[in-house]
Amino acid sequence: MKVSDDPAATLITHSLGSCIGVAIYDPVAKVGGMLHYMLPESRLDSNKAKNQPLMFADTGIPLLFKACYKLGAEKKRIISKVAGGSQIMDASGVFNIGKRNYAALRKIFWRNNVLVDAEDVGGTSNRTMRLNIPTGELALKVSGRGEIIL
Amino acid sequence: MKDVEEIIKSIEKLPPFPVMASQALKILDDPGASVGDVISVVQYDQAITANVLKMCNSAYYGLARKVHSLREGLVLLGNTQLKEIILASTVVKFFQPENKGYDLAKGELWKHAVATGIISRVISRRVSESEPPSLFTAALLHDIGKAVLNSFVDRYFEEIIALVDTGDYSFLEAESKMLGINHAELGEKIAKSWDFPEDIVQSIRLHHRPEEASAGDVITPIVYLANVITLSMGIGIGRDGLSYRGKQEVMKRYGLKPKDLQAIIIDFYDEYNKVQDVLKLA
Repeated sequence: MKVSDDPAATLITHSLGSCIGVAIYDPVAKVGGMLHYMLPESRLDSNKAKNQPLMFADTGIPLLFKACYKLGAEKKRIISKVAGGSQIMDASGVFNIGKRNYAALRKIFWRNNVLVDAEDVGGTSNRTMRLNIPTGELALKVSGRGEIIL
Repeated sequence: MKDVEEIIKSIEKLPPFPVMASQALKILDDPGASVGDVISVVQYDQAITANVLKMCNSAYYGLARKVHSLREGLVLLGNTQLKEIILASTVVKFFQPENKGYDLAKGELWKHAVATGIISRVISRRVSESEPPSLFTAALLHDIGKAVLNSFVDRYFEEIIALVDTGDYSFLEAESKMLGINHAELGEKIAKSWDFPEDIVQSIRLHHRPEEASAGDVITPIVYLANVITLSMGIGIGRDGLSYRGKQEVMKRYGLKPKDLQAIIIDFYDEYNKVQDVLKLA
Protein backbone atom coordinates (compact mmCIF):
# COMPACT_ATOMS: atom_id res chain seq x y z
CA MET A 1 0.00 0.00 0.00
CA LYS A 2 1.16 3.50 -0.82
CA VAL A 3 -0.51 6.80 0.02
CA SER A 4 0.67 10.27 -0.81
CA ASP A 5 -0.12 13.97 -0.88
CA ASP A 6 3.18 14.85 -2.54
CA PRO A 7 2.44 16.95 -5.64
CA ALA A 8 5.39 15.35 -7.43
CA ALA A 9 4.43 11.74 -6.70
CA THR A 10 3.20 8.96 -8.94
CA LEU A 11 2.13 5.73 -7.26
CA ILE A 12 2.66 2.51 -9.18
CA THR A 13 1.67 -1.06 -8.62
CA HIS A 14 2.99 -3.63 -11.05
CA SER A 15 1.65 -6.78 -12.58
CA LEU A 16 -1.67 -7.39 -10.83
CA GLY A 17 -2.60 -10.75 -12.35
CA SER A 18 -5.51 -12.07 -10.27
CA CYS A 19 -4.77 -9.56 -7.55
CA ILE A 20 -6.80 -6.37 -7.30
CA GLY A 21 -5.41 -2.87 -7.42
CA VAL A 22 -7.56 -0.24 -5.72
CA ALA A 23 -6.73 3.42 -6.32
CA ILE A 24 -8.55 6.10 -4.35
CA TYR A 25 -8.19 9.84 -4.76
CA ASP A 26 -9.54 13.00 -3.19
CA PRO A 27 -9.39 15.71 -5.88
CA VAL A 28 -9.75 18.54 -3.36
CA ALA A 29 -7.12 17.46 -0.86
CA LYS A 30 -5.07 16.01 -3.73
CA VAL A 31 -4.43 12.91 -1.68
CA GLY A 32 -4.28 9.49 -3.23
CA GLY A 33 -3.59 5.92 -2.27
CA MET A 34 -3.16 2.53 -3.82
CA LEU A 35 -3.52 -1.00 -2.50
CA HIS A 36 -2.49 -4.22 -4.22
CA TYR A 37 -4.09 -7.15 -2.41
CA MET A 38 -3.80 -10.81 -3.25
CA LEU A 39 -6.65 -12.62 -1.54
CA PRO A 40 -10.30 -11.98 -0.66
CA GLU A 41 -10.74 -12.87 2.97
CA SER A 42 -8.54 -12.70 6.04
CA ARG A 43 -10.51 -15.36 7.91
CA LEU A 44 -8.59 -17.91 5.83
CA ASP A 45 -5.62 -17.27 8.11
CA SER A 46 -6.30 -14.85 10.93
CA ASN A 47 -2.74 -15.02 12.21
CA LYS A 48 -1.35 -13.99 8.87
CA ALA A 49 -3.98 -11.27 8.60
CA LYS A 50 -2.69 -9.73 11.80
CA ASN A 51 0.87 -9.55 10.47
CA GLN A 52 0.06 -8.84 6.84
CA PRO A 53 -3.38 -7.22 6.70
CA LEU A 54 -2.63 -5.67 3.30
CA MET A 55 -2.64 -9.11 1.71
CA PHE A 56 -6.44 -9.42 2.05
CA ALA A 57 -9.33 -7.35 0.73
CA ASP A 58 -11.28 -7.18 3.97
CA THR A 59 -8.36 -6.07 6.13
CA GLY A 60 -6.44 -4.09 3.51
CA ILE A 61 -9.15 -1.88 2.01
CA PRO A 62 -10.12 -0.21 5.34
CA LEU A 63 -6.43 0.52 6.00
CA LEU A 64 -6.11 2.20 2.60
CA PHE A 65 -9.05 4.51 3.28
CA LYS A 66 -7.86 5.30 6.82
CA ALA A 67 -4.36 6.15 5.62
CA CYS A 68 -5.78 8.58 3.06
CA TYR A 69 -8.10 10.15 5.66
CA LYS A 70 -5.01 10.77 7.78
CA LEU A 71 -3.55 12.85 4.97
CA GLY A 72 -6.72 14.91 4.73
CA ALA A 73 -8.88 12.98 2.29
CA GLU A 74 -12.61 12.93 2.98
CA LYS A 75 -14.86 9.99 2.26
CA LYS A 76 -17.54 12.00 0.43
CA ARG A 77 -15.02 13.29 -2.10
CA ILE A 78 -13.16 10.06 -2.74
CA ILE A 79 -13.01 8.68 -6.26
CA SER A 80 -12.35 4.93 -6.40
CA LYS A 81 -10.96 3.01 -9.33
CA VAL A 82 -10.31 -0.70 -9.50
CA ALA A 83 -8.26 -2.93 -11.81
CA GLY A 84 -6.95 -6.49 -11.97
CA GLY A 85 -8.79 -9.63 -10.99
CA SER A 86 -7.79 -11.57 -14.10
CA GLN A 87 -7.74 -15.30 -14.26
CA ILE A 88 -6.55 -18.13 -16.44
CA MET A 89 -8.92 -19.62 -19.02
CA ASP A 90 -11.08 -21.84 -16.88
CA ALA A 91 -14.74 -22.57 -17.43
CA SER A 92 -14.94 -24.71 -14.28
CA GLY A 93 -14.27 -21.78 -11.96
CA VAL A 94 -11.86 -23.60 -9.65
CA PHE A 95 -9.05 -21.19 -10.51
CA ASN A 96 -11.11 -18.01 -10.22
CA ILE A 97 -9.09 -16.22 -7.54
CA GLY A 98 -9.52 -13.00 -9.53
CA LYS A 99 -13.30 -13.17 -9.45
CA ARG A 100 -13.30 -13.90 -5.72
CA ASN A 101 -10.94 -11.01 -5.10
CA TYR A 102 -13.24 -8.66 -6.99
CA ALA A 103 -16.40 -9.95 -5.28
CA ALA A 104 -14.80 -9.30 -1.88
CA LEU A 105 -14.17 -5.67 -2.85
CA ARG A 106 -17.75 -5.15 -4.03
CA LYS A 107 -19.03 -6.53 -0.76
CA ILE A 108 -16.84 -4.23 1.36
CA PHE A 109 -17.61 -1.18 -0.76
CA TRP A 110 -21.34 -1.89 -0.67
CA ARG A 111 -21.33 -2.28 3.11
CA ASN A 112 -19.52 1.02 3.48
CA ASN A 113 -21.47 2.95 0.90
CA VAL A 114 -18.55 3.48 -1.44
CA LEU A 115 -19.05 3.40 -5.19
CA VAL A 116 -16.59 2.21 -7.80
CA ASP A 117 -16.17 5.12 -10.21
CA ALA A 118 -14.26 3.22 -12.88
CA GLU A 119 -12.90 -0.26 -13.28
CA ASP A 120 -11.09 -2.56 -15.63
CA VAL A 121 -11.29 -6.04 -14.17
CA GLY A 122 -11.36 -9.67 -15.24
CA GLY A 123 -10.30 -11.31 -18.48
CA THR A 124 -6.85 -12.82 -18.91
CA SER A 125 -4.81 -9.61 -19.21
CA ASN A 126 -2.09 -8.55 -16.86
CA ARG A 127 -2.33 -4.97 -15.63
CA THR A 128 -0.01 -2.36 -14.13
CA MET A 129 -1.55 0.69 -12.46
CA ARG A 130 -0.15 4.23 -12.14
CA LEU A 131 -1.82 7.01 -10.12
CA ASN A 132 -0.64 10.55 -10.69
CA ILE A 133 -1.09 12.39 -7.38
CA PRO A 134 -1.30 16.02 -8.58
CA THR A 135 -3.92 15.25 -11.25
CA GLY A 136 -5.58 12.07 -10.00
CA GLU A 137 -5.16 10.51 -13.44
CA LEU A 138 -5.08 6.72 -13.35
CA ALA A 139 -3.20 5.02 -16.17
CA LEU A 140 -3.34 1.30 -16.81
CA LYS A 141 -0.87 -0.71 -18.81
CA VAL A 142 -2.74 -3.77 -20.01
CA SER A 143 -0.89 -6.71 -21.56
CA GLY A 144 -1.83 -7.11 -25.21
CA ARG A 145 -3.89 -3.88 -25.19
CA GLY A 146 -1.37 -1.16 -24.42
CA GLU A 147 -1.96 1.82 -22.17
CA ILE A 148 -5.39 3.19 -21.25
CA ILE A 149 -6.58 5.97 -18.96
CA LEU A 150 -9.22 4.78 -16.53
CA MET B 1 5.51 -22.81 -40.05
CA LYS B 2 8.65 -22.11 -42.05
CA ASP B 3 10.19 -20.63 -38.90
CA VAL B 4 10.32 -23.90 -36.97
CA GLU B 5 13.73 -24.92 -38.23
CA GLU B 6 15.12 -21.46 -37.62
CA ILE B 7 13.66 -21.47 -34.10
CA ILE B 8 15.08 -24.86 -33.21
CA LYS B 9 18.43 -23.90 -34.66
CA SER B 10 18.49 -20.77 -32.51
CA ILE B 11 18.86 -22.99 -29.43
CA GLU B 12 22.49 -23.10 -30.45
CA LYS B 13 22.77 -19.40 -29.73
CA LEU B 14 22.10 -19.99 -26.05
CA PRO B 15 25.26 -20.16 -23.98
CA PRO B 16 26.01 -23.84 -23.30
CA PHE B 17 25.11 -25.35 -19.95
CA PRO B 18 28.42 -25.19 -18.07
CA VAL B 19 30.23 -28.54 -17.97
CA MET B 20 31.33 -27.67 -14.46
CA ALA B 21 27.76 -27.47 -13.22
CA SER B 22 26.77 -30.79 -14.83
CA GLN B 23 29.77 -32.41 -13.18
CA ALA B 24 28.99 -30.90 -9.79
CA LEU B 25 25.37 -32.04 -9.99
CA LYS B 26 26.47 -35.57 -10.92
CA ILE B 27 28.91 -35.65 -8.01
CA LEU B 28 26.14 -34.60 -5.61
CA ASP B 29 24.05 -37.53 -6.87
CA ASP B 30 26.83 -39.93 -5.97
CA PRO B 31 26.52 -41.03 -2.33
CA GLY B 32 30.22 -41.90 -2.26
CA ALA B 33 31.38 -38.45 -3.24
CA SER B 34 32.97 -36.08 -0.77
CA VAL B 35 32.69 -32.35 -0.11
CA GLY B 36 36.16 -31.96 -1.58
CA ASP B 37 35.03 -33.52 -4.87
CA VAL B 38 32.31 -30.94 -5.32
CA ILE B 39 34.52 -28.01 -4.35
CA SER B 40 37.25 -29.09 -6.73
CA VAL B 41 34.79 -28.77 -9.59
CA VAL B 42 32.80 -25.68 -8.64
CA GLN B 43 35.58 -23.42 -7.42
CA TYR B 44 36.90 -22.67 -10.91
CA ASP B 45 33.79 -20.80 -11.91
CA GLN B 46 33.89 -17.57 -9.96
CA ALA B 47 30.54 -16.23 -11.09
CA ILE B 48 28.75 -19.41 -10.06
CA THR B 49 30.70 -19.66 -6.82
CA ALA B 50 29.68 -16.09 -5.94
CA ASN B 51 26.03 -16.92 -6.68
CA VAL B 52 26.24 -20.11 -4.63
CA LEU B 53 27.51 -18.16 -1.61
CA LYS B 54 24.79 -15.53 -1.95
CA MET B 55 22.13 -18.22 -2.16
CA CYS B 56 23.53 -20.16 0.81
CA ASN B 57 23.18 -16.96 2.82
CA SER B 58 19.62 -16.20 1.77
CA ALA B 59 17.03 -16.35 4.56
CA TYR B 60 15.28 -19.11 2.63
CA TYR B 61 17.83 -21.69 3.78
CA GLY B 62 17.76 -20.38 7.32
CA LEU B 63 21.39 -20.98 8.24
CA ALA B 64 22.25 -19.67 11.71
CA ARG B 65 25.53 -18.12 10.59
CA LYS B 66 26.93 -16.48 7.52
CA VAL B 67 28.69 -18.73 5.04
CA HIS B 68 31.99 -17.35 3.74
CA SER B 69 33.31 -20.23 1.67
CA LEU B 70 32.08 -23.02 -0.54
CA ARG B 71 33.36 -25.54 1.99
CA GLU B 72 31.28 -24.04 4.79
CA GLY B 73 28.20 -24.00 2.58
CA LEU B 74 28.72 -27.58 1.58
CA VAL B 75 29.11 -28.69 5.16
CA LEU B 76 26.08 -26.80 6.47
CA LEU B 77 23.62 -27.64 3.71
CA GLY B 78 22.53 -31.06 2.59
CA ASN B 79 23.11 -32.52 -0.87
CA THR B 80 19.56 -31.80 -2.03
CA GLN B 81 19.75 -28.15 -1.12
CA LEU B 82 23.21 -27.83 -2.57
CA LYS B 83 22.08 -29.33 -5.83
CA GLU B 84 19.31 -26.81 -6.18
CA ILE B 85 21.62 -23.95 -5.21
CA ILE B 86 24.27 -24.92 -7.75
CA LEU B 87 21.63 -25.45 -10.41
CA ALA B 88 19.89 -22.14 -9.73
CA SER B 89 23.25 -20.31 -9.58
CA THR B 90 24.08 -21.77 -12.97
CA VAL B 91 20.82 -21.20 -14.83
CA VAL B 92 20.14 -17.67 -13.57
CA LYS B 93 21.97 -16.23 -16.57
CA PHE B 94 19.52 -17.86 -18.99
CA PHE B 95 16.57 -16.26 -17.23
CA GLN B 96 18.19 -12.90 -16.66
CA PRO B 97 17.92 -10.93 -19.92
CA GLU B 98 15.01 -8.75 -20.85
CA ASN B 99 12.50 -10.69 -22.99
CA LYS B 100 10.94 -8.15 -25.33
CA GLY B 101 8.70 -10.62 -27.12
CA TYR B 102 6.94 -11.44 -23.86
CA ASP B 103 7.40 -7.88 -22.56
CA LEU B 104 9.35 -9.06 -19.54
CA ALA B 105 11.87 -6.65 -18.05
CA LYS B 106 15.31 -7.87 -17.05
CA GLY B 107 15.05 -10.34 -14.18
CA GLU B 108 11.29 -10.89 -14.48
CA LEU B 109 11.54 -14.38 -15.97
CA TRP B 110 13.92 -15.28 -13.13
CA LYS B 111 11.39 -14.10 -10.54
CA HIS B 112 8.79 -16.24 -12.27
CA ALA B 113 11.13 -19.25 -12.22
CA VAL B 114 12.04 -18.90 -8.53
CA ALA B 115 8.43 -18.27 -7.48
CA THR B 116 7.25 -21.35 -9.37
CA GLY B 117 10.00 -23.38 -7.73
CA ILE B 118 8.93 -22.27 -4.26
CA ILE B 119 5.23 -22.80 -4.94
CA SER B 120 5.87 -26.28 -6.33
CA ARG B 121 7.48 -27.12 -3.01
CA VAL B 122 4.59 -25.63 -1.01
CA ILE B 123 2.12 -27.71 -3.06
CA SER B 124 4.22 -30.84 -2.70
CA ARG B 125 4.16 -30.51 1.08
CA ARG B 126 0.35 -30.59 0.91
CA VAL B 127 -0.19 -33.34 -1.62
CA SER B 128 2.71 -35.78 -1.37
CA GLU B 129 4.49 -37.58 1.40
CA SER B 130 7.92 -36.55 0.25
CA GLU B 131 9.16 -34.09 -2.32
CA PRO B 132 9.97 -35.72 -5.68
CA PRO B 133 13.72 -35.17 -6.23
CA SER B 134 13.33 -33.45 -9.62
CA LEU B 135 10.44 -31.22 -8.66
CA PHE B 136 12.25 -28.00 -7.80
CA THR B 137 14.52 -28.16 -10.85
CA ALA B 138 11.60 -28.88 -13.17
CA ALA B 139 9.62 -25.99 -11.73
CA LEU B 140 12.60 -23.63 -11.92
CA LEU B 141 13.26 -24.49 -15.57
CA HIS B 142 9.70 -24.84 -16.88
CA ASP B 143 9.76 -21.64 -18.96
CA ILE B 144 13.32 -21.92 -20.29
CA GLY B 145 11.83 -22.13 -23.80
CA LYS B 146 10.68 -18.52 -23.50
CA ALA B 147 14.31 -17.39 -23.38
CA VAL B 148 14.69 -18.56 -26.99
CA LEU B 149 11.16 -18.25 -28.38
CA ASN B 150 11.05 -14.65 -27.18
CA SER B 151 12.46 -13.07 -30.34
CA PHE B 152 10.06 -15.05 -32.55
CA VAL B 153 7.08 -14.14 -30.39
CA ASP B 154 8.16 -10.53 -30.83
CA ARG B 155 8.20 -10.94 -34.62
CA TYR B 156 4.69 -12.43 -34.77
CA PHE B 157 3.15 -10.80 -31.71
CA GLU B 158 0.28 -9.08 -33.52
CA GLU B 159 -0.82 -12.34 -35.15
CA ILE B 160 -0.45 -14.31 -31.91
CA ILE B 161 -2.45 -11.83 -29.84
CA ALA B 162 -5.15 -11.67 -32.54
CA LEU B 163 -5.62 -15.42 -32.15
CA VAL B 164 -5.72 -15.14 -28.35
CA ASP B 165 -8.27 -12.33 -28.61
CA THR B 166 -10.69 -14.61 -30.45
CA GLY B 167 -11.01 -16.50 -27.16
CA ASP B 168 -10.41 -19.81 -28.90
CA TYR B 169 -6.66 -20.00 -28.36
CA SER B 170 -4.49 -19.97 -25.29
CA PHE B 171 -1.20 -18.12 -25.73
CA LEU B 172 0.52 -21.50 -25.97
CA GLU B 173 -1.82 -22.69 -28.72
CA ALA B 174 -1.37 -19.41 -30.58
CA GLU B 175 2.42 -19.84 -30.41
CA SER B 176 2.06 -23.32 -31.91
CA LYS B 177 -0.26 -22.09 -34.65
CA MET B 178 1.86 -19.09 -35.67
CA LEU B 179 5.37 -20.39 -35.04
CA GLY B 180 4.91 -24.14 -35.43
CA ILE B 181 6.32 -24.72 -31.94
CA ASN B 182 5.48 -23.40 -28.48
CA HIS B 183 7.70 -22.36 -25.58
CA ALA B 184 7.08 -25.62 -23.73
CA GLU B 185 8.17 -27.79 -26.67
CA LEU B 186 11.17 -25.58 -27.27
CA GLY B 187 12.04 -25.83 -23.56
CA GLU B 188 11.96 -29.61 -23.92
CA LYS B 189 14.55 -29.40 -26.68
CA ILE B 190 16.78 -27.09 -24.66
CA ALA B 191 16.64 -29.34 -21.58
CA LYS B 192 17.47 -32.34 -23.81
CA SER B 193 20.42 -30.51 -25.30
CA TRP B 194 21.64 -29.92 -21.75
CA ASP B 195 21.31 -33.63 -20.96
CA PHE B 196 18.75 -33.16 -18.23
CA PRO B 197 16.97 -36.23 -16.84
CA GLU B 198 13.94 -37.42 -18.77
CA ASP B 199 11.39 -36.60 -16.05
CA ILE B 200 12.46 -32.95 -16.07
CA VAL B 201 12.46 -32.82 -19.87
CA GLN B 202 8.91 -34.20 -19.95
CA SER B 203 7.58 -31.87 -17.32
CA ILE B 204 8.98 -28.85 -19.18
CA ARG B 205 7.24 -30.09 -22.33
CA LEU B 206 3.91 -30.69 -20.59
CA HIS B 207 3.82 -27.86 -18.06
CA HIS B 208 0.68 -26.47 -19.73
CA ARG B 209 -0.74 -29.87 -20.68
CA PRO B 210 -0.53 -31.99 -17.52
CA GLU B 211 -3.32 -34.25 -18.75
CA GLU B 212 -0.85 -35.76 -21.21
CA ALA B 213 1.66 -36.73 -18.53
CA SER B 214 2.08 -40.43 -17.81
CA ALA B 215 0.27 -41.88 -14.80
CA GLY B 216 3.51 -42.28 -12.87
CA ASP B 217 4.64 -38.70 -13.48
CA VAL B 218 4.41 -37.01 -10.10
CA ILE B 219 6.09 -33.74 -11.01
CA THR B 220 4.28 -32.41 -14.10
CA PRO B 221 0.88 -31.81 -12.43
CA ILE B 222 2.54 -29.99 -9.53
CA VAL B 223 4.67 -27.85 -11.84
CA TYR B 224 1.52 -27.07 -13.83
CA LEU B 225 -0.35 -25.95 -10.75
CA ALA B 226 2.61 -24.00 -9.38
CA ASN B 227 2.87 -22.14 -12.69
CA VAL B 228 -0.84 -21.33 -12.71
CA ILE B 229 -0.56 -19.88 -9.20
CA THR B 230 2.56 -17.88 -10.10
CA LEU B 231 0.72 -16.45 -13.13
CA SER B 232 -2.28 -15.61 -10.95
CA MET B 233 -0.02 -13.75 -8.54
CA GLY B 234 1.27 -11.72 -11.48
CA ILE B 235 4.87 -12.72 -10.83
CA GLY B 236 7.03 -12.44 -13.93
CA ILE B 237 4.18 -12.42 -16.39
CA GLY B 238 4.18 -10.38 -19.54
CA ARG B 239 2.15 -9.87 -22.68
CA ASP B 240 0.90 -13.43 -22.56
CA GLY B 241 -0.85 -12.47 -19.33
CA LEU B 242 -2.96 -15.27 -17.91
CA SER B 243 -4.01 -16.60 -21.32
CA TYR B 244 -3.37 -20.23 -20.44
CA ARG B 245 -5.83 -23.02 -19.79
CA GLY B 246 -7.07 -24.09 -16.39
CA LYS B 247 -7.12 -27.86 -15.95
CA GLN B 248 -9.48 -28.66 -13.13
CA GLU B 249 -8.54 -32.35 -13.28
CA VAL B 250 -5.24 -31.48 -11.59
CA MET B 251 -7.14 -29.96 -8.67
CA LYS B 252 -9.37 -33.05 -8.53
CA ARG B 253 -6.41 -35.39 -8.61
CA TYR B 254 -5.11 -33.86 -5.37
CA GLY B 255 -8.51 -33.13 -3.86
CA LEU B 256 -7.75 -29.40 -3.82
CA LYS B 257 -10.46 -26.76 -3.49
CA PRO B 258 -10.27 -23.04 -4.33
CA LYS B 259 -9.63 -22.23 -0.68
CA ASP B 260 -6.62 -24.57 -0.75
CA LEU B 261 -5.16 -22.46 -3.56
CA GLN B 262 -5.51 -19.43 -1.31
CA ALA B 263 -3.81 -21.23 1.56
CA ILE B 264 -0.96 -22.20 -0.79
CA ILE B 265 -0.59 -18.54 -1.78
CA ILE B 266 -0.35 -17.50 1.87
CA ASP B 267 2.34 -20.10 2.59
CA PHE B 268 4.18 -19.09 -0.54
CA TYR B 269 4.47 -15.41 0.39
CA ASP B 270 6.14 -16.30 3.68
CA GLU B 271 8.88 -18.09 1.79
CA TYR B 272 9.02 -15.67 -1.13
CA ASN B 273 9.90 -12.88 1.28
CA LYS B 274 12.96 -14.88 2.28
CA VAL B 275 14.37 -15.19 -1.24
CA GLN B 276 14.70 -11.53 -2.10
CA ASP B 277 18.51 -11.95 -2.26
CA VAL B 278 18.10 -14.82 -4.68
CA LEU B 279 15.87 -12.71 -6.91
CA LYS B 280 18.56 -10.06 -7.03
CA LEU B 281 20.97 -12.53 -8.63
CA ALA B 282 19.32 -11.66 -11.96
